[in-house]
Amino acid sequence: MGATAAGQPAIVVRDLGIRYNLRLTRRTTIKSSLPGLLRRGGDGAPKHFWALRHVGFRLDHGESLAIIGPNGAGKSTLLLALAGILEPSEGEIQTQGRVSTLLTLGAGFELELSGRDNIDLAGAFLGVDHREMAALTPSIIEFADIGAFIDAPVKTYSTGMKARLGFAIATAITPDILLLDEVLGTGDQTFRARSQARIRELIGRAKAIVLVTHDLAYVTEFCNRAMLVERGQIIREGEPGEVTELYRQRVTERKLLAETEGQRFAEAPAAAG
Amino acid sequence: MTGPTTEALAPPLVKAARRSLLSLALEGFRDIVQRQRLIRYLVGADLKRTHVDTLFGQLWWIFDPLLQMAVYYVLVSFISTRQIPDYALFLFAAVLPWKWFATTVNDATMSVVNRQSLIRQIQFPKVVLPTAAVVAGTLSFMIGLIALGIVYLFFLDRLSPWVLLLPVVAAVQFVFTLALAIALSACNAFYRDVQNVMRHIVRLWFYLSPGLYSLDHIGHGTARTILSLNPFAPLFESYRAITWGMGPPQWLGLLWVLALSVLLLILALALFKRVEPAFARIL
Repeated sequence: MGATAAGQPAIVVRDLGIRYNLRLTRRTTIKSSLPGLLRRGGDGAPKHFWALRHVGFRLDHGESLAIIGPNGAGKSTLLLALAGILEPSEGEIQTQGRVSTLLTLGAGFELELSGRDNIDLAGAFLGVDHREMAALTPSIIEFADIGAFIDAPVKTYSTGMKARLGFAIATAITPDILLLDEVLGTGDQTFRARSQARIRELIGRAKAIVLVTHDLAYVTEFCNRAMLVERGQIIREGEPGEVTELYRQRVTERKLLAETEGQRFAEAPAAAG
Repeated sequence: MTGPTTEALAPPLVKAARRSLLSLALEGFRDIVQRQRLIRYLVGADLKRTHVDTLFGQLWWIFDPLLQMAVYYVLVSFISTRQIPDYALFLFAAVLPWKWFATTVNDATMSVVNRQSLIRQIQFPKVVLPTAAVVAGTLSFMIGLIALGIVYLFFLDRLSPWVLLLPVVAAVQFVFTLALAIALSACNAFYRDVQNVMRHIVRLWFYLSPGLYSLDHIGHGTARTILSLNPFAPLFESYRAITWGMGPPQWLGLLWVLALSVLLLILALALFKRVEPAFARIL
């Protein structure tokens, strides 16, 4: 793994754009999309939505990048694209080394299977060699700290247990690039401390980390770089302290703007009347 | 960007270029071969999940076709005056393979949609999902063969060495089912109407296939010609020939269904690989 030494690029993103087709979105049936299909090339409503556009950055091994921004800014879309789950509509992404995603913990678990079987299943989904997975299993079980429950069906687990097992699996396979989406806050106090220690360890082993979070405290604590994303574009990229400060400012500004707008609307009818 | 270090990077992820049908199909086939372990785990999970809350569990794979045969037996005895000797065995030759086909097509159609949360979280070849559904259905079919053994206890004089060819006929049905399963699971991701429509199509399909009757009962008109184009005509007639008729299967018919199935499978794999990148966007 000499190729993943610190200072080498782990992720290079060039002019990335991700476009959603608004005609084929969630839970469509033919009836609901029929008008759109008939109107093909026609008038009015936009058919596409650019969740990300003209995004470019580079992340080296050993760095950890926080992506912050308001809801719907495109943060999670960016993470999905880095994971290879969403295909770029334009531009390109290059990654070096094994990418592991920890987007929502334990969502892929089979409830009828035991924790142990789910470790195997997760390994197979992630494409990890089964001998490697077998070697990792004891440490996963130990880290997840669910004791004898490991041989019970996952449907008997508490939310916290599922989250711990998910975290243990995703971080056990020592990814070169770890993608995290709002997961550091899971579990109780002790597990939180241990998961944070694990993240620090991964950072220390010259692994690259991209973290999406709303908790600005994590940004300054865990990351050496930060990126502010709004409406699918990078607003600022740099020191965590500086970027979070800018984000706070913009949030306050927007709040003020919304308040004054609200007042104007509230006053308008009164003035007219 | 600083020069030479980027050379160590993996090939870039970019918007996939349009590719030829065969190269897409080949990649789909490679996905299935390379992820056998994943398919095996998914099949195990599938078998564990079905019938988990029933008293008899997996035994339902044996009871269910027997009960279904009983229902058809009673029904047909009432409405038809024609006497077919050993009709229970005659029926069973079609009921068991059909249960395999109908359940599998149903499960496979939903297989991609049912994993939508995972598809948005892990990058893996999605074609393993319908494939696993078909393999799980096939294992259940094998358990169901025990029911065939039970039926044979009552018709021992109809047992012949031809019945050993059952895996050959089943192999042809497997390829046909896999092709449909892969295509339907992809279509259902875009339009959930597919799963609703398929339930009814599958039911109608059974009555249009020579399962409760034999093609010989139809006569030799246009109706028979049309009905024999149905892939399940040679399949059912072959199952029946080897289990009930104590004779050889319809080799020519099976060959035509196999050729059709392989062609469909190539098209289905190509279709699946073509739309696969869109799954994470639309689910």
